[in-house]
Amino acid sequence: MPYGVILWRADVNQVKLYRIMKINIKITTTLVLTILLMVCGCKRSGQNEESLKTQSQQKTIGVSLLNLSSEFIVMLNKAMNEKAKELGVRLIVYDAQRNAEKQVQQVETFIAQKVDAIILNPCEVEASSPSVKKAIAAGIPIINVNSETRDEPTAFVGSRDEESGKIAMEYIAKRLNGKGNIVIMQGFMGQAAQIKRDQGADEVLKKYPEIKVLARQTAEWDRAKAVSLMENWIQSHGNKINAVFAHNDEMAMGAVLALEQAKMKSNVIVVGIDAIADALKAVKEGRLDATVFQDAKGQGATAVEIAVKIINKQPFEKETYIPFRLVTKENVDEYLRK
Amino acid sequence: MEFLKNNNISRYGLIAVLFIFIILLSFLNENFLTLNNIIIVARQVSINGILAIGVTYVLLTGGVDLSLGSLVALSGVVSAFVARSAEIPVFFAVLTSVFVGACCGFFNGFVVSKGKVAPFIVTLGMMTIARGLALVISGGKPVSGLKESFLTISGGSFLGIPNPVLIMSAAGIFSFVFLRYTKYGRYIYAIGSNEATAYVCGVNVVGVKLFAYTICGAFAGLAGVVLASRITTGQPNAGIAYELDAIAAAVIGGTSLSGGVGGIGGAILGAFLMGIINNGLDLLNVSSYYQQIIKGFIIICAVWSDTMARRRESGKVI
Repeated sequence: MPYGVILWRADVNQVKLYRIMKINIKITTTLVLTILLMVCGCKRSGQNEESLKTQSQQKTIGVSLLNLSSEFIVMLNKAMNEKAKELGVRLIVYDAQRNAEKQVQQVETFIAQKVDAIILNPCEVEASSPSVKKAIAAGIPIINVNSETRDEPTAFVGSRDEESGKIAMEYIAKRLNGKGNIVIMQGFMGQAAQIKRDQGADEVLKKYPEIKVLARQTAEWDRAKAVSLMENWIQSHGNKINAVFAHNDEMAMGAVLALEQAKMKSNVIVVGIDAIADALKAVKEGRLDATVFQDAKGQGATAVEIAVKIINKQPFEKETYIPFRLVTKENVDEYLRK
Repeated sequence: MEFLKNNNISRYGLIAVLFIFIILLSFLNENFLTLNNIIIVARQVSINGILAIGVTYVLLTGGVDLSLGSLVALSGVVSAFVARSAEIPVFFAVLTSVFVGACCGFFNGFVVSKGKVAPFIVTLGMMTIARGLALVISGGKPVSGLKESFLTISGGSFLGIPNPVLIMSAAGIFSFVFLRYTKYGRYIYAIGSNEATAYVCGVNVVGVKLFAYTICGAFAGLAGVVLASRITTGQPNAGIAYELDAIAAAVIGGTSLSGGVGGIGGAILGAFLMGIINNGLDLLNVSSYYQQIIKGFIIICAVWSDTMARRRESGKVI
């Protein structure tokens, strides 16, 4: 404080400084008030809901999601909300924003709130593991959805990522009649989905020795990066490329764009994974050859169902695998409606 | 004046590295030095190039802008929404996008120059604000279904030169002339060299800084349109870490992080060096793990040799 006073005295323009500070205080106060008002507004609408639900003695499920800025997780969340409404349970949904530490904190909050069950959409195999341990230690059932943790949860709902790579590569092999040159666009290196999708594809490739992988490179799940990568591959391999396997649809769409620009799309098969809206549209239009559908709706709904079963002390499946499905022009309409 | 002299030093070191790299690659891969590949590299470079041009204004004032990547996403999403409707003409989509970018840039500039808050913090704040806005507007999903005419912004070409390259060139020429030959351009250098002196000499420091951040934001908006048109969607997750690439390009090109030194030519050269490394390593089929290591080393070596060449030129010992 004395240091501040010295600085204050040292300033020649005391009055001016004082004025600036006054304005600053005004600005700060207004800001704080606005934020407080906003928070109060949010709280109030939340409280109304809460009071309504406590009246009917609703069961509560805490949900911690990997990242609500990813389309797949948004779909997962939507399916959960719909199922919860149907079954008459209340969901508290938190977004961990890809941060495993935040996720552990969120689970701790759920434990403190004494929720009846927790649904965890883990950020990471290792780092999200403490969440599972803590919930089980507190006697609260925890269900992992979409991906795994090292510690075993009460139940698991998800899909086998290897299977998606397998389905995609089987399709390519069939279309090429077991012979040809392919390139593989990988996801972000080191992530479980990238590793497993590669594994699944490699398993199939072993069966077809005449399919040659010309190049394998990451485009980090990103469409813009995929366009550049495909352009570069077209430069180095040109007409030798018969098919592209991309670990997700974003990259597959990027590959399609680059191939279309080079007027080569008609000769090259492109397959992605995830069945995002854009990709389904492209399959319908015949621009993308196939994608693999990961059932967000099925995963989300089943996770809530199993949570409710556990809460009601009914028998439940410890592991549920929702199958992937190949989407081509023939069956795309089925998925476009969803 | 000091800042005038520094700016006129040529980029021999960097140009040399660029040439060595180009010669090496053309020996290693016959597809590298073809007209087609040169056009492809230019097109791949253009988004980073536009951002690097924009961020140069801010770096020259001694500031930094970390919000570029998020601004690209936000303006891309906004322009995609505008480009969805058939009635609204395409140039309006470009205009809104540039306007959104400029507004965010203006906000950055206002808080930095008027509020005297560190640019790092202000633009870091804007980075998450703009990303959040992009997610809110788009609902976390990519905005698709854009009309054909919007897609020609990046897809089309004029006399064989892709439009994004033309846009980057236009932005580059404008900025080059502005920074080198106009009074306000020189003010930007003056502020970066010594803000207090510039102030005493009667330069409107607040106004010039405000302008620098605003135009940087506007260029980010422009890059947002180019990207959205290139990937045919407005992606709320697009542009992650683009600001680092842009700043790296500018700094590789000789722009000082402490302000007052550098220029547009260097920024574009830097962007090209990064693009050529990327393209070359992909053509040579280098594994993604090694690519990152090699990229890092080349960037450090390029800047090192450039710094040495410049020091020799200016005769500095320490």
